[in-house]
Amino acid sequence: MGLYQKENAPKGPAGSGALPVVVKIAPLLSEDVILFPAEGVDKTAILEQLTAAVCRKAGQDPAAALAKVHEREAGISTTLDTGLSLPHARLPGIDGILAGLAVLKTPLVDPKQPELSIRAVFLFFSPDKPGAFPLHLQLLRGVASLFQAPLIEKLSAANGPADALALVRKSEG
Amino acid sequence: MDPRTRWRWSAKVKAEPGPGRRVTEVVVLTTAMLSFISFWRASAIVLCDLASTAYYIGGIVEQAVGKSAPWFILAVMMFSYAIRAVYMESCSMFVRGGVYKVVKEAMGGTLAKLSASALMFDYVLTGPISAVAAGQYLAGLLNALFPHFRIGWHLDPGWFSVVFAIAATVYFWWENIKGIHESSDKALKIMQLTTVMAVVMMAWCGLTLWLHPAPLPPFTLNFSPEALGWAPKLGWLKPVGAVGVIMAFGHSLLAMSGEESLAQVYREIEAPKMKNLERTGLVIFLYSMLLTSLTSFFAVMIIPDSVRISRYGDNLLSGLAMSVVGPHWARLLLQTFVVGVGVVILAGASNTSIVGANGVLNRLAEDGILVDWFRGLHKKYGTTHRLINLIVGLQIITILLCRGDVYMLGEAYAFGVIWSFVFKTLAVMVLRFKDRRPREFMVPLNIEAGGVEWPVGLALIFLVLLATASMNLITKKVATVSGTIFTAAFFGLFLYSERDNERRHADAHAVEEKFNLREETDLNRVGGEFKKDRRVLVGVRDPNNLLPLNKALDELDPENTELVAFTARVRSGLGLVEETAAMDADERRLFTRVLEVAEKHGKTVTPMLVVSNDPFYAIVQAAQAVGAAELLVGVSAKLSAEEQLERLAMTWGSLQTDNPPVRLRIIGAAGVEHNADL
Repeated sequence: MGLYQKENAPKGPAGSGALPVVVKIAPLLSEDVILFPAEGVDKTAILEQLTAAVCRKAGQDPAAALAKVHEREAGISTTLDTGLSLPHARLPGIDGILAGLAVLKTPLVDPKQPELSIRAVFLFFSPDKPGAFPLHLQLLRGVASLFQAPLIEKLSAANGPADALALVRKSEG
Repeated sequence: MDPRTRWRWSAKVKAEPGPGRRVTEVVVLTTAMLSFISFWRASAIVLCDLASTAYYIGGIVEQAVGKSAPWFILAVMMFSYAIRAVYMESCSMFVRGGVYKVVKEAMGGTLAKLSASALMFDYVLTGPISAVAAGQYLAGLLNALFPHFRIGWHLDPGWFSVVFAIAATVYFWWENIKGIHESSDKALKIMQLTTVMAVVMMAWCGLTLWLHPAPLPPFTLNFSPEALGWAPKLGWLKPVGAVGVIMAFGHSLLAMSGEESLAQVYREIEAPKMKNLERTGLVIFLYSMLLTSLTSFFAVMIIPDSVRISRYGDNLLSGLAMSVVGPHWARLLLQTFVVGVGVVILAGASNTSIVGANGVLNRLAEDGILVDWFRGLHKKYGTTHRLINLIVGLQIITILLCRGDVYMLGEAYAFGVIWSFVFKTLAVMVLRFKDRRPREFMVPLNIEAGGVEWPVGLALIFLVLLATASMNLITKKVATVSGTIFTAAFFGLFLYSERDNERRHADAHAVEEKFNLREETDLNRVGGEFKKDRRVLVGVRDPNNLLPLNKALDELDPENTELVAFTARVRSGLGLVEETAAMDADERRLFTRVLEVAEKHGKTVTPMLVVSNDPFYAIVQAAQAVGAAELLVGVSAKLSAEEQLERLAMTWGSLQTDNPPVRLRIIGAAGVEHNADL
């Protein structure tokens, strides 16, 4: 199961002094869910490999999870201009965040937005429970914020999952 | 564009260099920012017009009807409370609820143009009568002071007042070209000064009457031949008992000129608008009632009959100052003070007339009644300078034609006042049957019978106005002739302009604001211009669906929060796009509607337009640049609220690496809201 840290729960309107939930990204990852896909694979194949790795670790059904990812991917793009693709889905039957990272040595053209290149894919599942949606959004913001172009550049040059994980940990501080 | 709009800023921002950035270029267009004023300021603006009549009304009415003038001035001032109610009801229905708008909604464009033309006559004369009266007072004072300084001069009051009036009008022309803020500030200061003068004057007059009691003015009417006009030729009028009363009432009616300014300032009044309009109405009623009525009574009771009209007919309050008890030097000092304040308030009234006329003509121009050329904005100040030039030009011509004769101006003046009231009241009455929407305020005395609510109060007000206006047509020759010619000329101009506009714009056009454009180079610098503690950014797109904006305005505390109304012009491609800093028709319509909604709430909004190839990036970048604590958008037609929140959260994170809190809010139909704190 993934971890998140609730540093300060929101107590009032934004800007009134309340701080949002802050999600730590690095603790969500481990070497077995960090992949370096072979050159030439497309986004669909990367999603399959990542889903399989994440579900294997968490003991979840990869087919159901992958279906949820595809369902979300059919909607508005999850690729950002930093080079990060951020596929995600809300999954019933889980209690915490499940996440995995794929690092591409060679940029991949985003199938939905050909003008954008994908250099890293961060896939995550959050619990499909009403109270978990704020965490889901926090994670989206947190991952998008952490995986800026300089970090992705370094990840592309990493020697393997352990090196990549160390870079993420170092970047998050 | 309204003279109150201020050019705030614009920005042109290039995205950070780098391959594949979604935001390639952002252009924030210059925005028009409405500023709203307190009811005290609003009262001051109206009173600069309404209360200034105290300086000349007594002399004009007494010359027409004799010593009973104060009673009729009192009656008119009391009646002004009913007129205030008519204006409040119309304002509750239309934020821009001047005569033209209300009459058009009720009875169509032709009568609306006619009533607006009559109103323009009122405004064009308000300036000159005020400025000329100020000149008369000043000439009277200088002539009284010269001997004390052993100066052998004697100023001709007529020509001196002409020169002074032109100078004052030109001064306020320039103030209006620059914008209204200076003017509303000045109006407030003028009224503060006038209040001091009024208190001193009332106390001194009270002391005088205590020491030398005098009878109240008689009720007896004593019309001058001029004041009868064509009436003596109409023998059938004589036996009608009420005719004299109506005639005298009609001669006193200009005492409440300035009520239309109430409709003009309503647009500017801050929230809560209707409550503040009520307060404004009450303040101006009490103030003008006390000042105008009491000074008229005191003048008749204190100034000796032998000199009241012969020497002080055109500067009655000077006469009052010189007739109270006390040593000569003290009375001369009082006269100096009275004249000083009078010059200031009367000049202020001249300013109010320019502001009011400009407001009316703006509404007409927006409605396509004036050719678009008139709405052109001043390059530096962003004001509708051509309209201001037209008004001031007409006022200067009027000043020259009258050659300093206040009585003649007063005679003509009432024409516009009364006929605009007649049309307005009739229109509000017609709207009771035509538009049955609930009103925030209704003129009282409504009787329900046969399933219909009959506006008895409105009908009574209308009958009084109609009878007075009809009688004025007979008795006020100058007003009838000059008013008819002027109204016909303006009506012709409106008619021609409207047809010309229809020919040029075959599709007709909705009411649209004019926006000036100015470019900056740094969006962050733009963000730095917001000075309040909190900022809220609200996305606007569809002028017919501004739910998020309405919600944000409902919640907005203008004391500590600034609201930015944002829209994105979406362009495809990633290359640098050299967009022109000009809004297209859809954007103009959108921002016009945004400003209307802001006016309705009486709260300030800063509209912003960004050109981008991704609306999510554009709105998030703008929100971060202004340091928004909240971001409100409407529900998308293509995406679910959850997808919108997800995309906003992702984009927010990708553009910002630090962690200031923000609340994202998706506002759906019927106020259903999805939100998240990030």
